[in-house]
Amino acid sequence: MRLLPLLTAFTSLLSFTVAQKASDKYQTFAGLASSSKGTKGVVLLNDQLFGDITSPHRNFTSVVLFTALDARFGCALCRDFQPEFDLLGNSWHKEHPQSDGLFFGVLDFTVGKQTFQRLGMSTAPILMLFPSSGPGSQQNPIKFEFNPSDVTPAEAVARWITGSSKYTVIIHRPFNYVKLFTFVGGIIGTATLSKLAYPYLAPALYSRNLWAAVSLVAVLLFTSGHMFNHIRKVPYVVQGRGGGVSYIASGFSNQLGLETQIIAVVYAVLAFSAIALCLKMPRMESSGKQKIAVMAWNLVLLVLFSFLMSIFKMKNGAYPFFLPPLIA
Amino acid sequence: MSTTAKSTLFRDPASTESVRSILKVVILLTIAAAAVASRLFSVIRFESIIHEFDPWFNFRASKYLVKHGFFDFWNWFDDRTWYPLGRVTGGTLYPGLMVTSGAIWHALRMISLPVDIRNICVLLAPGFSGLTAFATYLFTKEMKDSGAGLLAAAFMGIAPGYISRSVAGSYDNEAIAIFLLMFTFYLWIKAAKLGSAMWGGLCALFYFYMVSAWGGYVFITNLIPLHVFVLILMGRYSGRIYVAYSSWYALGTLASMQVPFVGFLPVKTSEHMAALGIFGLIQLVAFVDYLRGQVPSKQFNTLLRALVILITVISFTGLVTLTVTGVIAPWSGRFYSLWDTGYAKIHIPIIASVSEHQPTAWPSFFFDLNMLIWLFPAGVYLSFRQLRDEHVFIIVYSVMASYFAGVMVRLMLTLTPIVCVAAAITVSSIFDTYLEIDSPEEPEEDSESKKAKKDKKETGGFLSSKAPFIGIYSITSKVGVVGAFSVYLVLFVFHCTWVTSNAYSSPSVVLASRMPDGSQHIIDDFREAYYWLRKNTAEDAKIMSWWDYGYQIGGMADRTTLVDNNTWNNTHIATVGKAMASREEVSYDILRKHEVDYVLIIFGGLLGYSGDDINKFLWMVRIAEGVWPAEVQERKFFTPRGEYKVDHEATDTMKNSLMYKMSYYKFPSLFPPGQAQDRVRGARLPAEGPVLHTLDEAFTSENWIVRIYKVKDLDQFGRDHFAVSAFESGKKKGKKGGMAGRAPGKRGRRVVRA
Repeated sequence: MRLLPLLTAFTSLLSFTVAQKASDKYQTFAGLASSSKGTKGVVLLNDQLFGDITSPHRNFTSVVLFTALDARFGCALCRDFQPEFDLLGNSWHKEHPQSDGLFFGVLDFTVGKQTFQRLGMSTAPILMLFPSSGPGSQQNPIKFEFNPSDVTPAEAVARWITGSSKYTVIIHRPFNYVKLFTFVGGIIGTATLSKLAYPYLAPALYSRNLWAAVSLVAVLLFTSGHMFNHIRKVPYVVQGRGGGVSYIASGFSNQLGLETQIIAVVYAVLAFSAIALCLKMPRMESSGKQKIAVMAWNLVLLVLFSFLMSIFKMKNGAYPFFLPPLIA
Repeated sequence: MSTTAKSTLFRDPASTESVRSILKVVILLTIAAAAVASRLFSVIRFESIIHEFDPWFNFRASKYLVKHGFFDFWNWFDDRTWYPLGRVTGGTLYPGLMVTSGAIWHALRMISLPVDIRNICVLLAPGFSGLTAFATYLFTKEMKDSGAGLLAAAFMGIAPGYISRSVAGSYDNEAIAIFLLMFTFYLWIKAAKLGSAMWGGLCALFYFYMVSAWGGYVFITNLIPLHVFVLILMGRYSGRIYVAYSSWYALGTLASMQVPFVGFLPVKTSEHMAALGIFGLIQLVAFVDYLRGQVPSKQFNTLLRALVILITVISFTGLVTLTVTGVIAPWSGRFYSLWDTGYAKIHIPIIASVSEHQPTAWPSFFFDLNMLIWLFPAGVYLSFRQLRDEHVFIIVYSVMASYFAGVMVRLMLTLTPIVCVAAAITVSSIFDTYLEIDSPEEPEEDSESKKAKKDKKETGGFLSSKAPFIGIYSITSKVGVVGAFSVYLVLFVFHCTWVTSNAYSSPSVVLASRMPDGSQHIIDDFREAYYWLRKNTAEDAKIMSWWDYGYQIGGMADRTTLVDNNTWNNTHIATVGKAMASREEVSYDILRKHEVDYVLIIFGGLLGYSGDDINKFLWMVRIAEGVWPAEVQERKFFTPRGEYKVDHEATDTMKNSLMYKMSYYKFPSLFPPGQAQDRVRGARLPAEGPVLHTLDEAFTSENWIVRIYKVKDLDQFGRDHFAVSAFESGKKKGKKGGMAGRAPGKRGRRVVRA
């Protein structure tokens, strides 16, 4: 009979110590978060701190980033994501200086090898959310799926945190003053420069030749598929089958960087021969020279057009037409 | 003596005027006939049928128009699409196309020629291509002469870049829009040349027709102001430009606002602001020009210049402020993606998912335009040589249209006319020079004049044609060049015919393939399935399919659809995507909530038809993920190595998705055990096919291209369907032996075709 109150007392004491411990830990992390060596609001963890932050009895939620920032590991994604994560912690810390139950921690591989091994992690970065161990709440950590094509990862993580815990993180992206100053400076600079250079540039600006050249280059670039290269980011050349370099991509709706340049040059020479034939030739004075020149341009046109047709036939095997002398 | 007589006979315009005009008419008629004839491949090969996807909606709308009359059409609320939302069709379409074919239908009836509306719809595009050739002739004639005009008309008539959108049966807005585009441009050039308000008004009238016919009218809305702007910058402002532009803009904008779908967009969106801004600018320039004529003081001029700059800056700031505050809508996503090419991929997957919104690789340019593509820069160069006001238009048009065509395959259509015009100018210039029968005399050697010329030549630089025109001396040169170009032109005709026949004449509703013995085999699965729906389902049955097939189901099966090709509601499309991409438990809820009766999918695995739903599946996932990022994740459809697989390596999410299950349901039973193969993705499938609990297979077409599933009703005992199928499979286990042998070849028609 006497045992029961004793037991209750003991249990309450135990729970009190646990609570005490938990609140201690909480204070520790809150302190670390506000005074951490790295970014404000992000706790730099090591094996021991990680053990604390994920200990079974906790009254706080933590978001931990497992990363490998050291150059030796060559983890580009880690380095790309780190500023976004710092921004996340920072944004939370600004609104909640006392952390209010949500911590952001980073565990780098160099200081947390044991943890990485213990959790069997072989890739980085990994982002996990450890929910608080209150009654009725979910115990298992939740993993974040990185989406490499995301342009604003911090916002995506914030949405994910909102979705999987009771906290709502609002991201405050710092205003990019550098960009503003470059922009304003650029405008002023350009204006000044154009004002100063106007007397010298004016003849060129009104030069028909310049505009003709610009327009023709633009037309040639666009019609030879430059925008496709730009949008799809196609390689310039690829390794061919026999170990050599392949200039022409196989397949009708595919192309290489160099290939489009070849095509643009072919188009340009063809167009120039047509111009030469109709403008330059009839203005030649000597009949002998003219005869040779006409034949030469005519030949250039024929050979290049034939070359173009053969390349096209290479790309599109079913194409039935060709033009001598080059037959693919 | 005889030569002079001959030359007068051919050269003197007055004496041969009538012969020339008759010849021109005959040639133009021949070109129009060739243009129409080359577009009839599909009618001859298949039948008089509407093609592709969008035309089915236009066709359905046209039928509605001739059946119910114009006013009902104007107020048409369509409750058979976008179930349960419906669509205010009358206010959300460009009515020009339907009204045109409706008018033709009525006109033919008036002269006692009752033609079926379907035949009018099928043949509208070829008919208008003849008119396009004529409009191109008129346009080019303004640029050079009628010879170039005829060549341009011939090019335009057969260029595959235009044929691709105007074969018989391709009953789409572009069918009439390209004619309207060219004709509006012709009227604009005419108005700008003459400075006539009448031509400006006519231009506005056709601009209105264009606005009512195609969303691409924005191209005109921006190109004409750009032309005017460039002219002003070049210091070529004149009263003619002022009259032409002001009359076109004022009338054209007011008229375009009468189209319900356009409404107040011309004063509210950024796409139209350039035209408004230039309208303001030209008033200002006109005012300054007037004042300059009155007060020739230098100080006053400086003051004026300051005033102009000030007003420009103020109005520009005002425009920016209005855009920022939201009074003027910013660039619409579709339009904006033309400038920022990465925009659509990130923000609007639904636009990026359409294949004709992809950038253009160079083979496409060559495929669609052949030799014209290299004659085109030469023509632009020739325009620079003359550089009258109308040539500036060619240059501006060329550069802009080349850019747009490079960014988006679909916009090849707007590039084609100007390529034809520029190429015709080049070829006609070459023929002008080399088809001259007379040869010039060689001039005397005169060192002094030669030297003078040499000096001149050096200053000429890039535009090396300052020397006087002499002509071609040798007959061999003439024959050589003319011969070569004739061969190229003949080759061009062959190319165009081949491309049209092979690439652009497939209705895509009906597929054709060759049997081993060379005979043609028609694959008609789509219509088979749609007619099955029409005949075997309740009239108010709701069909869920991916949005690509919405218009076809509406047009051919006459059933209610959830989403269709008018992709105005992204969330609704994402709902369908989610239903396809989720587990059966989740999907069934969605299907029940939308009262879906049947689910239709396209599966090409048996035949090797690559445009099927499994290949489009990632877009469904992406679009769904855009709305429910927590529930649908694209990553989960990829194997850990980042591959998109359908075989035994496929991820669980993939294998459990409704789309995967519906596609491969019972598919392995067609093959010997363990041999099931998907011919599109070249993958060997697991021997065990997926099991469906909440859907019943209702219909599978001959070649398995279309598969239709019926959504099961709620269980009579209130159990969920998984419990039901578990219960039933447990019960039937004993009897199954007798059934197993029959399962694979249950239907006689399901034969594997090699």
